[in-house]
Amino acid sequence: MRTRRWTIAAAALCLLTAGCGSGSGKASSGFEAGADETINAEGETLTVWIMEGTNPDAEPFFDELSTAFTEETGAELDVQFVPWAEAHDKFVKSIAGGTTPDVAEVGTTWTPEFADAGALVDLSSQVESSGLSNDLVPGLVEAGTIDGALYGMPWYAGVRSVVYRTDLFEAAGVEPPTTWDEIVTVGKAIKKADPDVIPFPIAGDSEYGAYPFVWGGGGEIAVEEGGTWTSTIDSPEAQQGLEFYTGLATEHGLSTPAATTWNEADLSDAFSRGEVAMMISGSWTPGALLEANPDLEGKIGAFPIPGPDGGYSPSFLGGSHLSVFNTAENPDLAWALVRLMGTGEFAEKWGDQSGFFPGTTPLLEKVQAADDPLVSPFATQMVEAGASLPVTPLYGQVQGKKTVAAMLQSILSGDKSVEEASAAAADEMDAVFSRGS
Amino acid sequence: MASTLSPDTRTGTARRSRSAPEQPPRRRRGLTPSWLPWVLLAPALTVLGGLLLYPLGRVVTLSVQDFGLRQLVTGESEWVGLGNFAEVLADPLLWRVALPNTAVFALVNVALTVVVGTLVALLLARVGPWARGLLTSAIMVAWAIPAVTGTYVWVFLFDARSGPVMRLLGSLGLIDPETTNWFTERLPFYGIATLNVVHHGFPFVAVTVLAGLMTLPKDAMEAAALDGANAWQRFWHITVPLLKPVFAVVTILSTIWDFKVFTQIYLMPGGSGTNREVLNLGTWSYITAISQNRYGLGAAIAVLLTLLLLVITMFYLRTLFRQEEL
Repeated sequence: MRTRRWTIAAAALCLLTAGCGSGSGKASSGFEAGADETINAEGETLTVWIMEGTNPDAEPFFDELSTAFTEETGAELDVQFVPWAEAHDKFVKSIAGGTTPDVAEVGTTWTPEFADAGALVDLSSQVESSGLSNDLVPGLVEAGTIDGALYGMPWYAGVRSVVYRTDLFEAAGVEPPTTWDEIVTVGKAIKKADPDVIPFPIAGDSEYGAYPFVWGGGGEIAVEEGGTWTSTIDSPEAQQGLEFYTGLATEHGLSTPAATTWNEADLSDAFSRGEVAMMISGSWTPGALLEANPDLEGKIGAFPIPGPDGGYSPSFLGGSHLSVFNTAENPDLAWALVRLMGTGEFAEKWGDQSGFFPGTTPLLEKVQAADDPLVSPFATQMVEAGASLPVTPLYGQVQGKKTVAAMLQSILSGDKSVEEASAAAADEMDAVFSRGS
Repeated sequence: MASTLSPDTRTGTARRSRSAPEQPPRRRRGLTPSWLPWVLLAPALTVLGGLLLYPLGRVVTLSVQDFGLRQLVTGESEWVGLGNFAEVLADPLLWRVALPNTAVFALVNVALTVVVGTLVALLLARVGPWARGLLTSAIMVAWAIPAVTGTYVWVFLFDARSGPVMRLLGSLGLIDPETTNWFTERLPFYGIATLNVVHHGFPFVAVTVLAGLMTLPKDAMEAAALDGANAWQRFWHITVPLLKPVFAVVTILSTIWDFKVFTQIYLMPGGSGTNREVLNLGTWSYITAISQNRYGLGAAIAVLLTLLLLVITMFYLRTLFRQEEL
């Protein structure tokens, strides 16, 4: 209601000030200036929300960005850091209260949801006229596109692979596995060499650890046909993958019962305590792991998640968009910031500092060329075997319901078999899909 | 304590008796217009209305709407009548998991909280002033710890890998840490939650009952003791009937708190939705409304929880008043 009142107020203001720009035919985008035009917004302040923890030491970056932005536009930046864990709730509440920021970093899986709700501004025209269309990482563009309109400028991307302890592998006399069977043999060898180490903990509260095995087994999470999504997480292929993944814990004893209730943060904590030999972990984590326990320096490596018989198992390609919210009073100023952050010097610097991959292809190629042992396995995973979740706002609801994590946990705790648990998860997803938003 | 209180009480009565004669004539002369009390109450009523009545009304409205994120942005809403309630009541999760978890947990916790609180109060009433001060401050700490902090401490204590309780029981050979994770099963999960909630809730009962015990007439106790009543008989036949109103208050308040327990469950491993077996009405409502953006359905669950609480509270109050009439 409040939003509507603002729209009316804005419309009235438009009439008084001799008409808005002709470009704002669509209600959602209010751009007036050209995409590359320098604008003067002396005295204005732009509110920005950034997820906390992506860049371990983000303050200097944003100090520098603020200075550059003020130099360019005259406007001030008000950067606020939001922890990932509470960000979704915070966005939703601020959408409800009409208190959204002007620009925000939005997780790629949330962008369709917020866009569908009408909270985000369509950036397609700006991206196109800036000549960026062909330079953006395709997976991130796909994740931010709803009905042909792009609601988020790709900012950075990350992917999960396996992070492992090189010293423990050496002590057990094993090499990184290249097939699923080898994961088991390697895991068992490590357990034999050091029974106190958890060879491959399976975190029950981490859906992203399970997806690679669903995909690797040849399954899909859900498929779209004629505009309707249907879950296929109970297909024989998907079940085979889940059987293998959870079997590492239930059958081969490579995990620990405690991990049944772990989330990814618990997993990282256990790793930096030195209790873990290998784990599914993000390309952005090695830095934080080393920071948490400097003794691990030189003892950490990474390898792409193996496929069942060689090759790679696809892993979720996630990351963040930079989005402009419809409450932005000056969309042109907001876009100026998105452009400044998402391209060139600042995008490159952000990638360097945070350990994420840049959202534009020229910068990504530059990273790949550098050949860092803690970076290039992830880059390989991203380029060779990156995958995306069902691009529908409804999948956000499935994630909110923790359907996949609930499935995993009930298998790991022995409550349900893989067949029962995956059938229950598929029913739950289908119920969400059939209800619509 | 009684001697330090009496001067205040005395001045209080003195002030009241001094001003008493002035009031009746004023009222008789009708100098107080009938609207004046309302004007004076207006600020308080506005605050209460804004903070209490409006959200309450909003939740009830939401519960009969299909309300998602899109409706939140556009301000439009779709009336679905009792559809949300029908969906909740038809969900096996309600009957099999959420309702039993909420009701049984509350019942057990209220009973334990009141019993433990009363025992502590009886202890406090017996010990000397120095020990009482020390004990009272100690239990106040348990009360003052925020629910979030307290929950994390209990979770740490029972952690499946590094929790001290697990280690102790493991070294005694009572459990096998290689195969045990208490948070994945319903009963141990709620057992740990019970420890947490009772530990956090008993100080209030103890302090309130202690205040009641201080007001008990000593002569009745002495007479009963002379007649040969033992400690239990004195407690059951004299203390309990005399303190009935106090017990009613602590029981009703504990019931309300324990029925809508949220933080202590949500923050435990698996409590935020991954373990469906441990959902209660509070966490289920939150996860439905906030994590899935189905505000209408979440509100319907919340309304059901409120109705349940109202019924129970009314039942308590009725019992209390019936007792007083007898």
